Amino acid sequence: MSRPLLLAAVVAFALLGLAPVVVMVARVDGADLHAILAARSAALLGRTALLGAGAALIALVVGIPFGFLVARTDVPGAPLWRIAGVLPILLPPLVVAMSWAGMTTLRGGLATTLVLGLCTFPLVALYSARAFERVDGRQEEAALLAGGLRAALRAELPLVLPSALFAACFAFVLAINDFAVPDYVSSIGPKWNVYADEIFASWRSSRDTGSAVASALPLVLLTALALWPALEMRRRSLLTSFSGDFRAPGTLRLGFWRWPALAFVLAVLGVAAFTPLGRLVWESGGGARGFSAANMQASFARALELGRANLASSLTFALGAAVIAVPLGLVLGHALERSGTLGRRLAPLVLIPIAVPAILFGIGGIALWNHAATGAIYDSGWMAVLLFAGRFLPFAVLSCAAATAMLDRRVEDSARLAGAGPARRLVRIVGPALAPAVFGSGLVVFVLSMRELDAAILVPAANSTVLFRLYNAVHFGRDDFVAALALLVVFFVVAPGLLWTLFARRRLEILP
Amino acid sequence: MRLLLSPSLLVLLGLAGCARNPDLVIYCSLDQEFSEELILRFARESGLEVRAEYDIEANKNVGLATRIREEAGSRPRCDVFWSNECAQVVALGEEGLLQTYDSPSARDIPADFRDPEHRWTGFAARARVLIVNTQLVPPDQIVSMWDLFDPRWKGQVAMARPLAGTTNTHMTALYLALGEKEALRYVETAARLAQDGSLNLVTGNAHVMRLVRDGQAAFGWTDSDDFNVAREAGFPVAAVYPDRDGVGTLLIPNTVCILASAPRAEAARRFVDWILRPEIEAELARSRSAQIPVRANVPRPAHVVGPDAFRAMKVDGREVGRTVRQRTAELQELFLK
Repeated sequence: MSRPLLLAAVVAFALLGLAPVVVMVARVDGADLHAILAARSAALLGRTALLGAGAALIALVVGIPFGFLVARTDVPGAPLWRIAGVLPILLPPLVVAMSWAGMTTLRGGLATTLVLGLCTFPLVALYSARAFERVDGRQEEAALLAGGLRAALRAELPLVLPSALFAACFAFVLAINDFAVPDYVSSIGPKWNVYADEIFASWRSSRDTGSAVASALPLVLLTALALWPALEMRRRSLLTSFSGDFRAPGTLRLGFWRWPALAFVLAVLGVAAFTPLGRLVWESGGGARGFSAANMQASFARALELGRANLASSLTFALGAAVIAVPLGLVLGHALERSGTLGRRLAPLVLIPIAVPAILFGIGGIALWNHAATGAIYDSGWMAVLLFAGRFLPFAVLSCAAATAMLDRRVEDSARLAGAGPARRLVRIVGPALAPAVFGSGLVVFVLSMRELDAAILVPAANSTVLFRLYNAVHFGRDDFVAALALLVVFFVVAPGLLWTLFARRRLEILP
Repeated sequence: MRLLLSPSLLVLLGLAGCARNPDLVIYCSLDQEFSEELILRFARESGLEVRAEYDIEANKNVGLATRIREEAGSRPRCDVFWSNECAQVVALGEEGLLQTYDSPSARDIPADFRDPEHRWTGFAARARVLIVNTQLVPPDQIVSMWDLFDPRWKGQVAMARPLAGTTNTHMTALYLALGEKEALRYVETAARLAQDGSLNLVTGNAHVMRLVRDGQAAFGWTDSDDFNVAREAGFPVAAVYPDRDGVGTLLIPNTVCILASAPRAEAARRFVDWILRPEIEAELARSRSAQIPVRANVPRPAHVVGPDAFRAMKVDGREVGRTVRQRTAELQELFLK
C-alpha cells in the first residue's frame, strides 16, 4: 500500500469519523460517570439488551432460511425474492412500525422486538446467502450423496453460522439504538421504555453536555460489546468458507417442498416489506377517507412539488458522502485486511463512528467544524456531506476489507513484481477486481445518508433534506402527502441498486 | 476510479456554491409550515437575505437550543431565535445567551408575556387542551385535567411523554400552579397508569391528536394547533379548555429573542419589530395552527377562542423556564422505568 495514500486516508478517517466523538467524550468527567450508575438506568439497559437479543434472534431465525432459499434453491422466482429481501432494511423502521401498529393490536416489548427483528433480518439473509454460495460444490455433493439435503445442511451450517452471527450482531446494534420504534409501538398499552430514551431525555435535562454524553456511554459500551465479536466472526467466516481450489455449488432441487418454501419466503416479505409498502400506497391514495387513483396522483404531484428541492438536497448530500467514503473505504479496507495482526487490532477503531448515538455524533460535528477557519464548510452543504461520510465510513471500510480478503493476494504480488507501484496496483488491479464491493459500499453509505435524520438535524444544511420535510409533515397528520413522499424516498433509495442489478454483469456486494 | 472521480468533482463543485453570507440568520422552532411564509415575506419586504433554519416535531425544540448553546461557545451564527414555546428561551436567557431589546412593537403585549429585562417577548400562544373524540364521549363530560385518571376512561386516554416539548413545559408549570404536592400527585399518577396501560403514553402531541381523531383513544392532552388540524380535516373532535373552576388552562406563547452574540444585531431587531406586530398575530390566528393572540384586541376567527372563553393558568413563564431542567430530570426518574 502507498504510504502517502494510506496516511491521507487515515487522517481523513480520524477527522471525519473519530474527531467528532473524541471532542464530545473529552467533556466527560468523573462526576458525570458517577451519575449514570443508577439502578433505574441499569434496568433500562437490561431491557434494551433483551430487545437487541430478541431482535437479533428473530433476524437469525428468519434470515438464515430466507438467505438459503433465495440463494441456493429452485424456489420459484428466487432471484427476484432475493432482491426484494433487501427492502425491509431500506425502509425506515418507524414506517414499518406505523404500518403494523395501524393493523394489529399487538403492542409493547414483543411487538417492538418483532418489528426490529423483521427490519433487520435482511442483514442475516444477505450474509447467509453469500456464505451458502461460498460452500464448495464438491463438498456439498459428497454430503448430498451421503445423507441428502439434511446432511448437506448439517455440514454447511457451521460454515454459514459465523457470517449469520456477524450480521446478527449488527441487527443487535441497530435494535438497541432505536428509540422511535419502541416509543411508537408502546403508545397504546403499557409503556415500554428503552435506554435510548434516557439518552434523548438527558440532552434536555442535563446542565452540561458532559453528563449528557456520559448518559450515552453504557449504550456505547453495549454496542461495542456486540461489534467486537462481530469483527472476529467476520474474520472466521471469511477464512472458513473459502478454499483455494473452489468450485461454486449448484442449485439445490427441493421438489414438492419448493412450494411451502415459496410460501415462507412470500410470508416473510409480505410481513416485512410488502405490507408496509402497500399501506403507504393505500394512504397515498386517501386511505380510510376513501382510496382513489386520483387522490394518489394528487398526493404524488404535491409530494414532488413540495419535496423536489428536498429530494435534490438529500440526493446530493448522500451522493457526496458516498463519493468521499468509497475511495477512503477502499484504501483503508485494503490496508486493514493486508496488514494482518495489526489490522485486526485496529479494526475496532473503525467501528467507533457507528457505535455512538447519532445525537452525540451530530453535536460533535458542530463542536469540530463551527470555527472561524471552517465556518464556510459548516454553513454549507459540505457539513451534511462530511457528517454522513464520517458516520457511515465504517461500512465502506469493512465492505472493502471483506472483499479484499476474497481477492487472491498472488494477483497483487504479480503486479508488484511487474513493477506496478502501490497506488497503481490499487487503482488498476484492486479497484476493478473489487468493483461490485466498492460500488456496494458506496451504495450502503448513500442509502444510510438518505435515511439519516437524528445526527443531521443538528447541522444547518440538514434543514433542506427530504427526511426533514417528511417528519415535519408527519406532525400534521398529512397521511397522503407523507405516504407519497415516503414512497418517493424509498424509490430513490432502491434505484441505484436496482439499476446495478439490472444492467451490470457482476453481482452487487453491498455489505462487509 | 475515473468513474468515481467524475461524479465526485461534480458533487463537490455543486456543494461549493451552497454557502452564502446572509444578512440575518433565524432559528425557528415554530413549525416550518406556519413560519416559513412569514419569514419569506419579511425577507421580501426588508430586502434582506434571510436564512431560516427550522426544528422538527420529533426534536421538540432540543435541536435548535442545543445548537445555540454549542455555537455560542465557538462561532455564534444565529441572530434571532423564534421558539414555539417559552421554557427553552427563558433557560437561554438565564444562561446569559440573550441580549436585551425592548421592541416598540411589543408595547401593547400584556406584561405576563414579556420578560421584565426585555430578553424575550411572547406572542401568539397555543393552549394545552384536552382533545375529545365526540363520537366516543360527549365533550361536556370532560371538564378537568383529573378526568384523565377517571377509571371510567381506563385505557382510552392519552398524553405525550412529558420529557420534551409542550407536555414537558406543561407538567413543569403544574408544579407552580398546583404546588409541589398536588403536581407530584398528578405526574406520579400519570406515570403509574402509563406503566399498566391505563394511560397511553405516546410519542408527541400530534400522535395524541391522531389517536383521538381515529377513535383509538377517547380523549387526551394536546396543543390547540394540533386540535385545529384534526378539526379542519373534518374529524369528530372537540377541544376542552379544562379546569375553569380550578387551575385553568396553560397558554404557551411563541417567544422571540435576539442572541447576545448575534453577528447581525441590527437586522435582528428589524425582524423582531416586524414579527411582533399585531397583524402577524392576526395572521397566525387565521392560519392552520390557529394560534391564540395574546393581545385582546387582535381580530381572530370564530374557532380561535378569546381570553373570556377559558380561565388562563396563572404561572410565571420565567419561573417555568428556570425550573424546567430540574423538573425534567425528576420526570425522567418517574417516566423512564
